[in-house]
Amino acid sequence: MNPKKLLYLGLGCALFIAACRHGGMTYQLRGQVLDKNLTTNEITVNHEDIPGFMPTMTMPYKVKDPAVVEELEPGDKIAAEVVVARNGNDYWLEDVRITDASGRRTTKAPAPPQRLSAGERVPNLSLINQDGKTIRLDDFKGKSVLMTFIYTRCPMPNFCPRLSSQFAKIHEDLAKTPDVYAKTHLLTVSFDSKYDTAPVLRRYGLAYLDNDASGFAQWDFASAAAPDLRKLADAFGLIYFEQGNQIAHSMDIVLISPQGRIVKYWATEWTTAELEDALSTEATVKPARQTAQAVGMQ
Amino acid sequence: MRRVHPSLRWWWLPAITPMLAIWPTCSDRQAKQKGEELFQQNCAICHEASNLDLKKQPPRLEGLFQRKTLRSGAPATDEQVRKAIINGIGTMPAFDQRLSTEDVNDLLAYLHELK
Repeated sequence: MNPKKLLYLGLGCALFIAACRHGGMTYQLRGQVLDKNLTTNEITVNHEDIPGFMPTMTMPYKVKDPAVVEELEPGDKIAAEVVVARNGNDYWLEDVRITDASGRRTTKAPAPPQRLSAGERVPNLSLINQDGKTIRLDDFKGKSVLMTFIYTRCPMPNFCPRLSSQFAKIHEDLAKTPDVYAKTHLLTVSFDSKYDTAPVLRRYGLAYLDNDASGFAQWDFASAAAPDLRKLADAFGLIYFEQGNQIAHSMDIVLISPQGRIVKYWATEWTTAELEDALSTEATVKPARQTAQAVGMQ
Repeated sequence: MRRVHPSLRWWWLPAITPMLAIWPTCSDRQAKQKGEELFQQNCAICHEASNLDLKKQPPRLEGLFQRKTLRSGAPATDEQVRKAIINGIGTMPAFDQRLSTEDVNDLLAYLHELK
């Protein structure tokens, strides 16, 4: 084989290997590092719009190579590849390059938003549910409540659709144990009250309830007027803002006790089984223990 | 004024006829190309992925218009697919106010080609 052909063959192989390297989709990210976590191998990046993946957002990303996390510092401007696994369930950064290190250590991570601590009482805010009915958070007292936040037009499968799918799985599982089912409630709240009106939320909810409207008795889909949504966001430390024609928001799940107090938050990592277990445990925990906890917390 | 022989008055007609003939093809190709870009930006993340942690796996869209019906049971027509894109269907989110009418037209042109 002549050298030219060999060169082309080598180049072809290299391109093929590069294309097959991830087996998933890749997107280009440009942004600034705000924080790093050597334990979880994550960096928090304030990044520009990533067409097809994510609007402008500040969020944590896993980095494939731990050595890169050690090298990066808050303030560094970076370019990287976001790799989304072929099954779409995981994503991480590869090929991270520092494009500008002049702002190193001058940018501090934003202070975590103030939110109610575990044991604090949840405010009795009102929401409008999928039936157009006003519901108040105090209506769920006596039940443990798992609450999350979405918007129905979210096109990112790893975000709102995943949250709703996980809640659907929890709902299905709880329905198999009627005594626990009766002591729990799921609540999905939309960030997009303008678009997510009661009929839109009803249609969205039915898709996750296999078109069985009786499921709404245990799982409400609701939105709130702007001032109430703001109060809710402040209470739970939620971040949300309109970005172009999407809503950038934090991923949060809150567990509320039957006494209407915060039990736990999940913001980055969780499993459906973990959420389900925590919700069931909180619902079935002996009332005496709950009373003692409540008294101790006051 | 210079007189032109009557037979030469329409000299430009044969010149533009081929251009007029290929015009729809060019515009069609552009629509499909734009449609493919929009597909990659908005649809591929679900419809080309597998084993997503979702209640229902989004279907692959190859041969969408070769089928008689969509997964919802509705007829596989432009009108129904347009409705599904704009309003959402099942667990698929609505793309209302995110894609323009022209965008949806381009997407439909591409989806017709996706076999």
